[in-house]
Amino acid sequence: MSLVRSAATVLAKELRVELRTHDLTNTVFFFVLMIAGLFSFAFSPTASESRRILPGLIWMAFFFAGTLMLQLCFVREQTNDTLAALRLAPIDPFAILLGKILANFAFLAATEIVFVPIFSVFYNVSVGDVIGQLLLVLFLGTFGLAVVGTVFSAMSAQARMRELLLPLLLLPVLAPVLIAGVEATSELLAAGHSVGRVWLSMLAGFDLIFTTATWLLSGYLVEE
Amino acid sequence: MKLGKTAWNLAWWAVAIALAVAGYTIFFVAPRELTMGSIQRIFYFHASTGISAYLCFFLSFLASIGYLASRQPRWDWMAVSTAEVGLAFDTVVLITGPIWAKPVWGTWWVWDARLTLAFIVELLYIAYLLLRRLSTEIDRRALISAVFGIFAFLDVPLAYFSVRWWRTEHPGPVIAGGPNNGLDPRMWHVFAFTWLALLALMILMIRDRYRLEAMRQKVNDWKAEEELGLDVAEGKEVTQ
Amino acid sequence: MRNFWSILGAYLAAWAIFFVYSATVGRRLTRLEEEFRRLKDRAGRQG
Repeated sequence: MSLVRSAATVLAKELRVELRTHDLTNTVFFFVLMIAGLFSFAFSPTASESRRILPGLIWMAFFFAGTLMLQLCFVREQTNDTLAALRLAPIDPFAILLGKILANFAFLAATEIVFVPIFSVFYNVSVGDVIGQLLLVLFLGTFGLAVVGTVFSAMSAQARMRELLLPLLLLPVLAPVLIAGVEATSELLAAGHSVGRVWLSMLAGFDLIFTTATWLLSGYLVEE
Repeated sequence: MKLGKTAWNLAWWAVAIALAVAGYTIFFVAPRELTMGSIQRIFYFHASTGISAYLCFFLSFLASIGYLASRQPRWDWMAVSTAEVGLAFDTVVLITGPIWAKPVWGTWWVWDARLTLAFIVELLYIAYLLLRRLSTEIDRRALISAVFGIFAFLDVPLAYFSVRWWRTEHPGPVIAGGPNNGLDPRMWHVFAFTWLALLALMILMIRDRYRLEAMRQKVNDWKAEEELGLDVAEGKEVTQ
Repeated sequence: MRNFWSILGAYLAAWAIFFVYSATVGRRLTRLEEEFRRLKDRAGRQG
């Protein structure tokens, strides 16, 4: 089976499991909604302040939501004892990871599509003119998060205190994504509505480098 | 590497003396820098410690690749030794940086590009050590920490460029210039000497840490063997 | 020398960290070596 087809099979399986239970999407949606509210209570920002803090807030909310969600990605396989079956399947180990990466990306992207308008309303910052570009920036960053997060989820699934470990591993590595993403979002929300090419290439470069590294190292990650 | 114990002790003493000499040259031989004044003297060990730290992390990256390629435990020991020593050096950078910044910038901490990078790298390698500490099974630990070591080091250039572009509007880092910036030759000599002394210190520290890891493995092996032996003995008693 | 105490403080802090770290590694190593000797002795007596 080709890489793409086997990855698509894994992706379809992940989506089917999620559509049946709605565990991830329910938790993550509630989490982001809660963050959106709590930040507003904590800072009660004025219109100009919220324009300044909103980019950072959006990215932090999605980062934490991502780490919350990625935890389950391999743990779920473990509790159901299905990881061995996946390993035994005659497919490229990268296909397993890629399928899971795409699934995690899909869940997070769905959350972003739902919550960007909600953030915009809560913080009274209009995003209508730039919604397409904003989602592009968010998706580029989210893909990097999904790649590194899925790999680290596979790594930490067998460690002690894995619930605590994953965010500690993931967030430092994501520092470049956070900087680039927040800067790009700030530029979009500022008067000019234009996003600098440096930040887009930083986000795309991050995705490219870590996808390649995952591809090269996938054999070690999926083995027992 | 089959030097005797005395030879290594001598090496430690030589490094200690070299570092004392470096200290003397920093305070009394290097000329006073014109714009920043004496505080610039921190540069000699601040910058050389920084370079050594990144060198350690690079070695850890190579050792991680070596482990994945060969599956020899000694590569894993090398990876953790260099990462930990690198972390010690990076901590020195993070402490001397603010002491330098206070008189020059007026605040202890500025999110300046290089300081920020040192901070991110510190976080990355603390995470690396945490991962090792929390993984229980030894072979598995070596494998996943090698993968994390590779990911962490790949992140360093990305972090470097992102913090550099992030801080473009701000004045550049106050490093007194690289080797080609018309540095006073005496300054350059003091810097080179300090750096070589620190490099020697780094090698000795890595060697000690590596021996620690090798010894730990040895003790674990003996313990496992002993446990096995005891189990066999107990088993016999039960059957009798 | 202006800022003398800052420079001296930074200098001493750097060496203190190196010293403390090396001492910790040395201590851990000695402890392991002792444990190793003990294990070896015990194994020697048994076998």
